[in-house]
Amino acid sequence: MAALNGVSTRFAEGTFTAVMGPSGSGKSTLLHCAAGLEPVTTGSVTIAGTRLGDLDETALTRLRRDRVGFVFQDFNLVSSLTAAQNVALPARLAGRRADQERVVAALTEVGLADRAGHRPRELSGGQQQRVAIARALFSRPDVLFADEPTGALDRGTSHQILTLLRALVDRHGRTVVMVTHDPVAAAVADRVVLLVDGRITDELTGVDAAGVADRMTSLERAC
Amino acid sequence: MLSRDRIGQFVAVLLGTVLVTTFLLLLTSGRPRVPDRFEGFAAVVAAPAAENRPDEFAEPVPWSAEAVRTLTARIRAVPGVSGVAVDREFYAQPVRDGRPVAGSIRGYAWHGTNPPGPGEVVTARELGFPAGASITVLTGAGPVQWRVTGHTDLPGLHVSERVAAGLAPGVRALGISGDPEPAALAAAVGTAGTVLTGDERGRAEPRADARVRWIGMQVLSATAAVAGFACVFLVASASAHQVNQRRREIGMLRAIGATPRQVRSMLHRSALLLGVQAAVAGVLLGSLSALLLAPRLVRAGLEPAGYAVRWQPWVLAAAFAAGPLVALAGTAVAARRVSRIGALEALRVAEMEQTAMSRARWAAGLLAAALAVAAGVAAAASTDLSDLGTYALFGAMALIAAAALLAPAVVPALVRIFLAPFSGIIATLARESARTAVRRTAATAAPVLFTVAFAVFVTGTVQTSAAAYDARRSAAVPAETVLVPDGTPGLHDAVAGRAPLDTTVYVAGSAVMAIGADEVPAGTALASEQAAARYGPAVTVTFADGTTSSLRVTGIAPPGPFAADLVLSRDTVRGHDPSALAPAAYPAPPAPAGTSPAPSSPVGAHLTPSSPAGAYLTPPGPAGAYPAQPGPAGLGARHATPADMARQADADDDRLIATFTMLLLAVSAGAGGLAVANTLLMTTRYRRPDYRVLRRAGATRRQVLQAVSLETTLAVAIGSLLGGGAGLLAIAGSARSLAAQVGQAVPVLISWPVAAATVLACLALALGAALPPAAK
Repeated sequence: MAALNGVSTRFAEGTFTAVMGPSGSGKSTLLHCAAGLEPVTTGSVTIAGTRLGDLDETALTRLRRDRVGFVFQDFNLVSSLTAAQNVALPARLAGRRADQERVVAALTEVGLADRAGHRPRELSGGQQQRVAIARALFSRPDVLFADEPTGALDRGTSHQILTLLRALVDRHGRTVVMVTHDPVAAAVADRVVLLVDGRITDELTGVDAAGVADRMTSLERAC
Repeated sequence: MLSRDRIGQFVAVLLGTVLVTTFLLLLTSGRPRVPDRFEGFAAVVAAPAAENRPDEFAEPVPWSAEAVRTLTARIRAVPGVSGVAVDREFYAQPVRDGRPVAGSIRGYAWHGTNPPGPGEVVTARELGFPAGASITVLTGAGPVQWRVTGHTDLPGLHVSERVAAGLAPGVRALGISGDPEPAALAAAVGTAGTVLTGDERGRAEPRADARVRWIGMQVLSATAAVAGFACVFLVASASAHQVNQRRREIGMLRAIGATPRQVRSMLHRSALLLGVQAAVAGVLLGSLSALLLAPRLVRAGLEPAGYAVRWQPWVLAAAFAAGPLVALAGTAVAARRVSRIGALEALRVAEMEQTAMSRARWAAGLLAAALAVAAGVAAAASTDLSDLGTYALFGAMALIAAAALLAPAVVPALVRIFLAPFSGIIATLARESARTAVRRTAATAAPVLFTVAFAVFVTGTVQTSAAAYDARRSAAVPAETVLVPDGTPGLHDAVAGRAPLDTTVYVAGSAVMAIGADEVPAGTALASEQAAARYGPAVTVTFADGTTSSLRVTGIAPPGPFAADLVLSRDTVRGHDPSALAPAAYPAPPAPAGTSPAPSSPVGAHLTPSSPAGAYLTPPGPAGAYPAQPGPAGLGARHATPADMARQADADDDRLIATFTMLLLAVSAGAGGLAVANTLLMTTRYRRPDYRVLRRAGATRRQVLQAVSLETTLAVAIGSLLGGGAGLLAIAGSARSLAAQVGQAVPVLISWPVAAATVLACLALALGAALPPAAK
């Protein structure tokens, strides 16, 4: 059985898209395929004009490093590195210099300028996620993918993270694709893509959390 | 079935148990063996033991012909005695294809049926001489021709009582046939000797065998000590490491309601259970390897012929208990700490690094360091070499333990120093990872530390000692060419000419090394400085034939290359000890085998001519006195330089030491190498999430492998540095102690190729174990 089937969608530049669906609907798989973390068996994924299927593993890694930012539910920070070192990590892995000013600027953008020298275990969950976002944005990617970025956080912290993501799109023109199961989180997006059993069943724009929740509930009843 | 988590601990216990079983079995298997030729006797009466220290292995004080006659008469009168055989032992080495047969240097009086006549010999069947053949046999006086009249299962050559009495006038044992009461026998013998029956007859084993056994025991106790240390070290560290790696799982157990006590008892129980499983396999494998090693030890000269594994239940029980108990101890220390962590705390961060140095760790490390210092002090104060060796080994172990325990305190600094020349993200990753997980780095470095330290210590010490002895021996020989034994225990008269003879005499019941030299007139003796003070103007000496006479001490013996307390007249020595041999002759006598003795006195000039006390000892003639190229050396002798001679004199010891070194190195490096791989496999498995995070942060597979390689190399480098340091410190200590004993500077020599090879082997093993999991 395929995790995704006949999914065809575009994420326009400068927009904030939320992908929603019940557990096992394939929303994380969609994100992984779109970000080049998992290969697609049929069909193709194109990021800013580059077809991912044509790249080998090294070229794919390079593309992910340079043009895609990824934020995970469990942060995925390197525990032995400080916040600043974690932010600079992808750039340095790409063989670029990461000057301290830009690193501090990135941390300032997520409100953590004073935490640059702390290691992950000295930071709260929300702070760790903000470091992860700063890291994802540091190389100025074409698109930022976020897989349940608020899944491990309490409501207040979640709100901060969502506000941060919204601001990135509105103020800096970033492109964000976020997978979530939380209607409140989804309501922050410009567009909500609903996924059921590996197929896109609906798209909502300009709805609030209650509207998203209603739609979800009716979808789940229909199944 | 074992979960993968616990394979590392299982391997450590298995390995430790195999080592301990093998060497404990081998160590406890050595015991005196009844010589074959005494097997048929109901009892053996042995001559009184010499009053030397037991580790000098002096032969008993022989009975004279007169003493044998009266003793035999008294024993024959004991009811039940049907016969008394006079045991005689002498130097007799057969020659085959122009070469003395190695390993067959003893002749005996024949007590069986069909005694050989004069000029006839019964040979050991294993020598393979056909009956009726005429064979050349080397004796103290030179080669003789004997005709083979029969074969026996006993070792060596056997001649008639009459011939044997000529070659061995002194007697050290009587074989009693019949069925006498031991008490009656003992009463008849009185203080003239010791009655030995049953297994006690083993005490009449050749002193040479007793000495070999003693050497073997020392080698095996050192090896068993290293094996035991390796077992404790590896099992304890693997167990503790395993518990620390399972923090996440333990945190989960705590989260679902397990009390710290339950967590601890679970860990203890699983350690014991696993220890028992591993120990069963370990004891079986260890027994097998002991069986395989035993004949090899005999061949290497570490145990006398007839040595075999003896199954003692307590040995197997001890070896079986060691693994599980050490595993339990190692687990308990780590479990105590881990079980106290809050549930969520352990869950939240997979790799929660505890403080680098706990108070207990400091205490244990400093205690080990103090023990090392104490061992060093004891070694410096010890008066004999074997004590020194024991203290040095103990000190090295304590030092290694201290280095391993205290390592986390210096790891961060070492990481910074080692990686200072590197920049870039790979170096940053390796540095930060090694520095923040100090204990993990130290745990990875520990087996490397162990391996390298022992490699440096074992090979280094040996070179140190060998250098010391070489320097001492060759310094004392003033000749260009010397004649040395070739495949024989010493030179017989036909090749040695008038060279000084080695013999043993007895003064006041103690065996004393003596030399028979031409410069000393009959009836007089020179005594070494210490001996002269003891003896005074005259000394009463019992010779090898059991006769006693009083000699006038006329002076102090000058120092020479061969240690002896007394220098006697050569003719006197030859007269009393027909089997005495010359250790070497120099300058090499010009005459080939069988010609008349050298005409002039210089042959005896081993007594250093420069010595002021040697005024009456004619110095060697000018260089032209002998042909530039000495003639053929003769049967059982060859020409050599003094340095060669020093080496030849030490050749046997060197070979033993080399065997010893190999054994220790194989045990420590083998155990250490496996532990390196084991620890890394255990560690790397738990680091896969780290690698996944790195890959998700944009690292290519290659970059991850580079970072892992660098961090692994770093750990190996830290282990090598600390281990090399501990090993060097241990050698430097024993070199100083040795220097104090031999009275001259002993340079510290390190076998760099071995050290380098050990480090490289550790690195290869470490990378081989760390990289495959990271590549997935």
